[in-house]
Amino acid sequence: MANVILRDIRKSFGAVDVIKGIDLSIEAGEFCVFVGPSGCGKSTLLRMIAGLDTQSSGQIEIGGRDVSGLEPSDRGIAMVFQSYALYPHLTVRENIGFGLALAKRPKAEIAERVGAAAEALQLTHLLDRKPKALSGGQRQRVAIGRAIVRDPKVFLFDEPLSNLDAALRAQMRLELTELHAKLGATMIYVTHDQVEAMTMADKIVVLNGGHIEQVGRPMDLYDRPATPFVAGFIGSPKMNLYTGEVARALGAGTYGIRPEHLLVDGTSGRWTARVRHVERLGADAILHLEAETPGPITARTSGDAPWKAGDQVWLTPMPGKEHLFP
Amino acid sequence: MTRRSPYPYWFFAPAAVIYTALFLLPTVAAFWFALTRWDLYTATFIGLDNFRQFLAEPFLISGMSNTLIYAVTTSGLKTVLGLLLAVLLTSGLYAQGFLRTVVFFPVLVSTIGVGLTFTALMHPTKGAINVALELVGIDGPGWLTNPTLALFSVALVDLWKGVGLATLIYIAGLASISPEYYEAARIDGATRRQMFWRVTVPLVRPATITVITLSLIGGLRSFDLIWAMTKGGPGFSSDVLASTIYKQYQAGFYGLSTAGNVILFLMIALIILPLTLWFNRREVDA
Amino acid sequence: MTRRQTWTGIAALAAATLIFIVPFVFIFLMAAKTKQDASRFSFAWPADWQLWQNFVEVIQTRNYMLLLAYFNSTVITVGAVTGLVILAALVGYVLQRRPGRMSNVVYGFILAGLMIPPAVVPTIWVLQGLGLFKTLHGMILIQIAYNLAFSVLLYRSFIGTIPRDLDEAAIIDGAKPLQIFWKVVLPLLKPVTVTNIVVQSLAVFNDFTNPLYYLPGKENVTVQLTLYNFQGQFLSQFNLLFMNILLVTIPPLIVFIFFNRQIVAGMTAGAVKG
Repeated sequence: MANVILRDIRKSFGAVDVIKGIDLSIEAGEFCVFVGPSGCGKSTLLRMIAGLDTQSSGQIEIGGRDVSGLEPSDRGIAMVFQSYALYPHLTVRENIGFGLALAKRPKAEIAERVGAAAEALQLTHLLDRKPKALSGGQRQRVAIGRAIVRDPKVFLFDEPLSNLDAALRAQMRLELTELHAKLGATMIYVTHDQVEAMTMADKIVVLNGGHIEQVGRPMDLYDRPATPFVAGFIGSPKMNLYTGEVARALGAGTYGIRPEHLLVDGTSGRWTARVRHVERLGADAILHLEAETPGPITARTSGDAPWKAGDQVWLTPMPGKEHLFP
Repeated sequence: MTRRSPYPYWFFAPAAVIYTALFLLPTVAAFWFALTRWDLYTATFIGLDNFRQFLAEPFLISGMSNTLIYAVTTSGLKTVLGLLLAVLLTSGLYAQGFLRTVVFFPVLVSTIGVGLTFTALMHPTKGAINVALELVGIDGPGWLTNPTLALFSVALVDLWKGVGLATLIYIAGLASISPEYYEAARIDGATRRQMFWRVTVPLVRPATITVITLSLIGGLRSFDLIWAMTKGGPGFSSDVLASTIYKQYQAGFYGLSTAGNVILFLMIALIILPLTLWFNRREVDA
Repeated sequence: MTRRQTWTGIAALAAATLIFIVPFVFIFLMAAKTKQDASRFSFAWPADWQLWQNFVEVIQTRNYMLLLAYFNSTVITVGAVTGLVILAALVGYVLQRRPGRMSNVVYGFILAGLMIPPAVVPTIWVLQGLGLFKTLHGMILIQIAYNLAFSVLLYRSFIGTIPRDLDEAAIIDGAKPLQIFWKVVLPLLKPVTVTNIVVQSLAVFNDFTNPLYYLPGKENVTVQLTLYNFQGQFLSQFNLLFMNILLVTIPPLIVFIFFNRQIVAGMTAGAVKG
């Protein structure tokens, strides 16, 4: 368990700056998620912490030690790749024990540590298989086992769930959260999926265009997004955001209201709107509306709401839930 | 802040040593020795005399023109027949797999063995080819004894041995064309001939480039088949640059032989480089 | 399969048999004939089958020269192909994984190697200087140098299909560069290594020109050179010459039967990419 501190990390490929000065402190034992759209620099940042890429300037500390010049294997980290990166020619046992074998640990120790990791991940019966003979979820576990056996101070995850189907992804989210609780290790997790970020993180770091938009606990980001970008990125369906004349009339540079924070009424309210389309998800229904002010808008109501396309309704933002950005 | 790359350049080193010593160094040295009278121990600088001799002696000049004729003939025939065979052998014929095997196998066989076999088959009076022609009332020519025919006879054998490779490359090229193009063309009402010219030929272009380039380089450097069949004869009628190089080497004219090498090098460079550039430019335009 | 396809197929089969198989049948028939029978060159059944006698006689000719030739050819082929596989894999690996000016230069030299005809007499001069002229290991090194480019290109394009994540996982596991190559990458190159071994074995075994230049002398004779050397001697004994051709044709045939797929993969590499 160790904390991770990034000091003014910058990275440029040629003339292109991909990371534009990042300062960040991750506490020991924290589950920290880097989230952002593709190309925001989240993976690059993770790879620099791993030591697979080198920062152009700045300093990385893991557990109070400056690791900037160290080889990846000397940093006390382990990494789980998006593709899992299991060695196809080695068995599960050899995959998990590969790093220990390279470090020339005694055979008995390797067997014991591999066994323990396999036990923890319910992989014991699969130890002699090759990765090709495993399901997606099993491969995922082997990749995690390979990380655990290194006994790292920090776990790094690079979009580890993006190759799984939706059901398995939900299950693995739970397993990873439990693993974190059990190991109590520092984990840094990269994803583009805000659901993964919200459900798993102690701390979310929202990245955009090579800089940090906001750092905070999931509900802090949801309740008090610092920028319109964060407001739009966190939460689903997306927050309704307005700029220009509309926002100015509402007293802001950018005005935002979440679909779930709009009251829909058939007789009275703040804004009149016409229903264009209704998406019924079962428990919820998403209304797509055309309001006179502020314009096209989305609202979330209970699944049995009576509205249908063409209906005239009234919308009222819940008090205290409006977001006004300068 | 730079750490060492996991892909160190010293991985190149062992290969680079062998390649440089035995291939690059001799290639560069050739440009010097071509300007000398040379017996492997002492080289006397004689300027461009070796090249002058090459351009003055009729049999050396014919060696150069024969090289071109041979390369263009074999390359052209392999390209055209290779494509036709490939189309035929991907059309779902009876015994298609067996036919592919049969057409390809000569590629793997000893060139010298093939050359000697066809020398026997092309014997003017006893050879099986002329005996067969006689049966249908044709008086077969002296395939390898007629000076105007010898080079082309060898080229035909080269085609026999090499067309399988061209076919194979074309088959791979055809396999990479999505069937949807043909389905779309059929819906547009294209005939088989139109499909061949408007779908197959343009889309199989990368394979065509490979076949032309490979067979042209091979044709220009060709030596063993010619040597096995005619040794450049009758007279010098089927001599090419590569056989001239060997003959001058055997005769001890090392400088002259090396000049032949330099000429062959330049000839290949002057043909292949512009061709490659032209192919690549067309690719960008398209 | 339509009726028309069947008939075109049968016609093609007949033509292909005539053109591509008859010469091999001819070799076999000639190799089975007596001396007088063979000298008629006719495409006829042997009057008297002498396959075994001819085989024994060819082997015994010139003090078992053919056996020596097979031995030499085997040594050269095995040595050259082993070297080619290891050296070319190393080059192809770094070439694919580390793009940059250095790799561009190396790549340029590799392409040149596919095109440029070797300068023979200067090569002999270099070999003499190194004490490698007329030696088997000299010949092995020559075959490595001449065939390197092709092998490197095969490896380079195949390595492109191996995810870099694997290298990086190994780096994090603490592997050193040579360990990454040896323990992670090389085992995954097995298919293209088999292709390389098969295609280059055939190329080296069938090579005639380079032994002709760089391996003169009776004790260094290779299989292809025996054909050339015997040609003069067997001028009146075509049955033996063709027995020799038959023996030289058999190894490629065996390789072809077992490794058809790998050969096809190797020979068509780059056909699609251009």
